[in-house]
Amino acid sequence: MQVRDYLLRRLALLPLIMLGVSVIVFTLTRFTGSPVGIYANPNMTPEEVEALEARYLLDEPIPLQFYAWISGVLQGDLGWSGVSVAPVTDVIWSKFAATLELALAAGFIAVFMGIALGTVAGVRRNQLPDHGARMFSILGASTPTFWFGLLLLVPFYLWLDWFPLGRSTQEIFTSIPHPTGLYTIDAVLALNPQAFFDALRHLVLPSVVLAFGAMAIIVRMMRSSMVEAMSEEYVDAARAKGLPDKVVIRRHARRNALLPTTTVIGLSFGFLLQGAVAVELIFRWPGLGQWVTSAVLSGDQATIMAYVLVTALIFMTVNLAVDIAYAYLDRRVVLGE
Amino acid sequence: MTDASKVQGMTRVTRSSITGVKLRRRIEVGREVLSNPLTVIGLAIITGFLLMAAFAPLFAEPNQPDPYQSPRDWSNIDVPPGVAGHVLGTDSTGGDVLYGIIWGSRLSLQLSLTVVGFTVIFGTIVGSIAAMRGGKLDNFLMRVVDVFLSIPELIFALAIAAVLGPAFSNIILALAAVFWVKYARIVRGEIIKVKQAEYVASARVVGDSTWNIYRKDVLPNAWTPLVVQATLDMGNVVLIGATLSFIGLAQAGLTEWGALVSSGQSGLLAGEWWVSTFAGLAVVLWALAFNLVGDGLRDVLDPKTEGR
Repeated sequence: MQVRDYLLRRLALLPLIMLGVSVIVFTLTRFTGSPVGIYANPNMTPEEVEALEARYLLDEPIPLQFYAWISGVLQGDLGWSGVSVAPVTDVIWSKFAATLELALAAGFIAVFMGIALGTVAGVRRNQLPDHGARMFSILGASTPTFWFGLLLLVPFYLWLDWFPLGRSTQEIFTSIPHPTGLYTIDAVLALNPQAFFDALRHLVLPSVVLAFGAMAIIVRMMRSSMVEAMSEEYVDAARAKGLPDKVVIRRHARRNALLPTTTVIGLSFGFLLQGAVAVELIFRWPGLGQWVTSAVLSGDQATIMAYVLVTALIFMTVNLAVDIAYAYLDRRVVLGE
Repeated sequence: MTDASKVQGMTRVTRSSITGVKLRRRIEVGREVLSNPLTVIGLAIITGFLLMAAFAPLFAEPNQPDPYQSPRDWSNIDVPPGVAGHVLGTDSTGGDVLYGIIWGSRLSLQLSLTVVGFTVIFGTIVGSIAAMRGGKLDNFLMRVVDVFLSIPELIFALAIAAVLGPAFSNIILALAAVFWVKYARIVRGEIIKVKQAEYVASARVVGDSTWNIYRKDVLPNAWTPLVVQATLDMGNVVLIGATLSFIGLAQAGLTEWGALVSSGQSGLLAGEWWVSTFAGLAVVLWALAFNLVGDGLRDVLDPKTEGR
């Protein structure tokens, strides 16, 4: 199938899947009762609460409520976020930007470190670096993000005080404008090195913690495809030409081993998104994860719905992008088969 | 001898020799699996946890009326490991950490067995129906699978568990609702691959019924990746379940490892490191053990997909 056709089909399917996701999650959230508690306050009379329910159609059957919700979404209205005491659309972008910055930083670490470690392990198969990398990746897959975060918090925050909690220092935050919402980039745009280092200091610990799990997947994949690549005939041929080992590994083996590794990058992005929930909670990072946790604990359905929709959209977009990149990198791939 | 009985005799012979081959192959696989020291370590840890769960009342006298709530020793709050009969210390409400870990192993076992057991069966049924029937039904089921795969597992489970309310049983439900998808996909893929094999075609020529072909030829050849995935998921579901209860979706004071880590969180910043550290270590060991065994199984059963 042509890449273009495949892309169009996937794009056409995307809204359908989003619809499916929202139907399932919406039905589930409404199944257990009305979310009126988020809108009501304790001083209201029962009549007032009833009026409130009628106003938001909460006394209607679920399909009708869904219809009301989805037509709101299509008009850009995602409802009222009880935990933020503001319309969802007013706060979601700043939360999204916070999580995006964290996930990008973690993704960057995971991809580069993962490829480097996996390459070394694959080349030195069954030697010490290989055992080390394998142990590292299996630990990465077995360590709960929340626990790893807490473990790093003690030495680096409590004892050494190298890295602060939260996302920025208040005075520095207010000293520069924030056009993108990604604080490191905002600082670069404002040409303010102090703000840049402040943003970076806040970013280091949570992104390292978040990167660990995703890195484990990439190391594994890179290692095994590197092992495979090193046994290929073109590697022997390159060696026979008298090329130094470094060149053979870098230009021949690694380049080919990178191909299958791209496929797991989309998958590991899912790890970043779900890991962000715990990481944001521990490091007081004001992103989507922290937002949804408080929404979950207070039954704020509009926020949960918005969060699920945004996450699904990000995850699917990343996976689509990875598939397309893969198809362009490897012309032998026939998509959709 | 009539032709029919001849055929019957032949099948009997082949069948008994097949059983012999199967048995020999199984022993061979078992030996190969056990030749990997990492797998043996994993199995040893799992055995340790199983013994801990089975004999929990012997290791730590059950609290009355609910053994899954740590007994409170109010005169010994936040004591470090080794003090006043608390081998691993106590938390901020005087709950014994070791008690929590021991009784928590039962909860982890319950969680992983229920979720993996249910999802393997349900996923196999859905995947088999999709692959054996094909056509529109297959298409529909696979779109449903796509919907589930469009959200990372933890996030879907988080939304479901949030709705059901904070309780450990709801975490189990939420994970079961999410994890079946993988199995449906694996089984469908394997069956479609196996269906094209010659032995299935020859069974069809002989006139075997679809159900018989499925039961005797298709399913036994499709189960390998299923076993590997199920082993890995025994660890994964405990990891994700612990995350959910860490966030606060289990009952307060439950002897669940993630909830224990959470209860030690505030103490951690006051220098009381033991609660979160030991409880988290239990999760790591559990997940690590199943990952080691799962990897070992994959290396032997399915070497092509090593590391994928």
